[in-house]
Amino acid sequence: MTRFLTKDFLSGLMFIAFGLVALYFGRHLALGTAVRMGPGWVPHMLAYILLGLGFLICLVAFFTVGELVERPKLKPIALVTLGIVLFALMLERTGMVPALAVLVLVASLGGDEFKVIEVIGNIVVLSVLCIIVFKVGLGMNISVIEGVW
Amino acid sequence: MDLLNNLWLGLSVAVSLQNLFYALVGCMVGTLIGVLPGIGPVATIAMLLPITFHLPPTASLIMLAGIYYGAQYGGSTTSILVNLPGEASSVVTCLDGYQMARKGRAGAALSISALGSFFAGTVGTLIIVVFAEPLTRMAQKFGPADYCSLMALGLVAAVVLASGSVLKAIAMVFLGLLFGLIGTDVNTGAQRFTFDIPELSDGIDFAPIAMGLFGIAEIVVNLERRMERSGAIKVSSLWPTREEMRRAIPAAIRGTALGSILGVLPGGGPTLGAFSAYTLEKKLSKHPEEFGKGAVEGVASPESANNAAAQTSFIPMLTLGIPSNAVMALMVGAMIIQGIQPGPEVMTKKPDLFWGMIVSMWIGNLMLVVINLPMIGMWVKLLTVPYRFLAPAILLFCCIGAYSLQNSTFHVLQVGIFGVLGYIFVRLGCEGAPFLLGLVLGPQMEEYFRRAMLLSRGDPMVFLQRPISLGLLIATAVLLILMALPGIKKAREEAFQEEG
Repeated sequence: MTRFLTKDFLSGLMFIAFGLVALYFGRHLALGTAVRMGPGWVPHMLAYILLGLGFLICLVAFFTVGELVERPKLKPIALVTLGIVLFALMLERTGMVPALAVLVLVASLGGDEFKVIEVIGNIVVLSVLCIIVFKVGLGMNISVIEGVW
Repeated sequence: MDLLNNLWLGLSVAVSLQNLFYALVGCMVGTLIGVLPGIGPVATIAMLLPITFHLPPTASLIMLAGIYYGAQYGGSTTSILVNLPGEASSVVTCLDGYQMARKGRAGAALSISALGSFFAGTVGTLIIVVFAEPLTRMAQKFGPADYCSLMALGLVAAVVLASGSVLKAIAMVFLGLLFGLIGTDVNTGAQRFTFDIPELSDGIDFAPIAMGLFGIAEIVVNLERRMERSGAIKVSSLWPTREEMRRAIPAAIRGTALGSILGVLPGGGPTLGAFSAYTLEKKLSKHPEEFGKGAVEGVASPESANNAAAQTSFIPMLTLGIPSNAVMALMVGAMIIQGIQPGPEVMTKKPDLFWGMIVSMWIGNLMLVVINLPMIGMWVKLLTVPYRFLAPAILLFCCIGAYSLQNSTFHVLQVGIFGVLGYIFVRLGCEGAPFLLGLVLGPQMEEYFRRAMLLSRGDPMVFLQRPISLGLLIATAVLLILMALPGIKKAREEAFQEEG
């Protein structure tokens, strides 16, 4: 099994997957002719090249000893992504400061050390900084707290 | 004298109060992120890209350039005082810089690296001034087929000079090209891979992609590893001794020369320049055993080389519109945001921007010496800020920056998606830089390819019949063949070994 869990073999699979996805979603794009290329010509060409390279990478990886993929820690990536998604969902509904507070809180949970006082301090400092830079300095059209300011 | 006229024009633009202010901001931010490990110039420039939309074109490019070369100065401070590279390009400075600091010569090491960088920056800027015009004139003769081949050469060279697997890097370039096609096809108006998302029909914005791939992925990887912060070494006198100067000066000159050459090459840039300069010094030295134990040359040469390379890597971007590394790809993006199509026309149509930016680089280098030497204490204090305060701040600036592009939360989600993708790339050992270059060049390359094929009535031989194109393609092929030769493959792996 370890033969398949090398960085190279898995990245080969990733390129194949991207090639297949491109072929599937680009299937309705007209190819055109070599003189007047349609919108699909270059995407198809790139997709086939990716498939070819992907297979080649897998093949080389299969016959050589490669570096194994490190076991990923799910907590940091999951919490950082969750923080970004929550920020995106909240920003226009609640305004900048509440969204910012949630993002900083959730992202801080992703690190090893979590101290409530520090996180609150961080939120306050960043709120002030963002209001000064984005609202006052750059005059962005963004509410600080929706309905209030 | 045309050259003097141009420089005069540049000077008059660069010393305007506004441009001086943004050069200073760029240099300060650059030094800051250079000093702080865990955030690099690519992520920072991506983060600030949306903000530049609110600034005039010249000011925004001056600021972004300042961040890039400012980071080369700041990175050495951390390397010397804490033995942690602030930037990838100052990894080698740790070897001898930290040893000098332990011997009580921290101040001397800092001065030598700052003054060496300043000298290199001055020479690098002069090289841009001298070569900009002839290169631009040459580029104006290029037809679509030639441009297409030039981009192919640029992309292949970027792969060869990147570390890691060549095959994977080539695949990353093609993946980037594919992502670059997302949006409305210019010739037919067909929607490609837009999934009915209106924000994608104008083409995919690469600022959120760069933030995700470089900023978010970097944060996550750093959060996984516990970041240890050891105390910084105290700085006493900044003055190098006469003996140190005698050894540093020739090394700085050699570093500058090597860095300037490597900076111009596609895929080259500060990191490659610094590594090669260190290797060269070690080979030339009469006392190679001193290297790694605090050799002055081991600080002077790579530090000069990385700054020289940072300057000269602007040459292909400014004259041909071809970015040679990830930072230059973002500079191309910054120009496009401002409605300027990068390429040989920039110099003739926007001489004030072109020369203003070049002259401001020299002024910026002068500012950096002042920012880095007398104010060193302030930067050392910043090193004590733990990463858990920094990470949420970077994250937040990425998110707000992405939103401000078009006041759309879609771009914020895009940062998140590409953050996950970037994390997968890191885990699989696939480099982000070739992807970003492919992404930026993708739409243009397709356009030139289709135009060339239309002009030749569908005959692909056009790429071989035009002499310029043929020459560029031969160079590309030679590079690829060289890579496959076992001897060179081994040497390349060894050259990057020190890095890992």
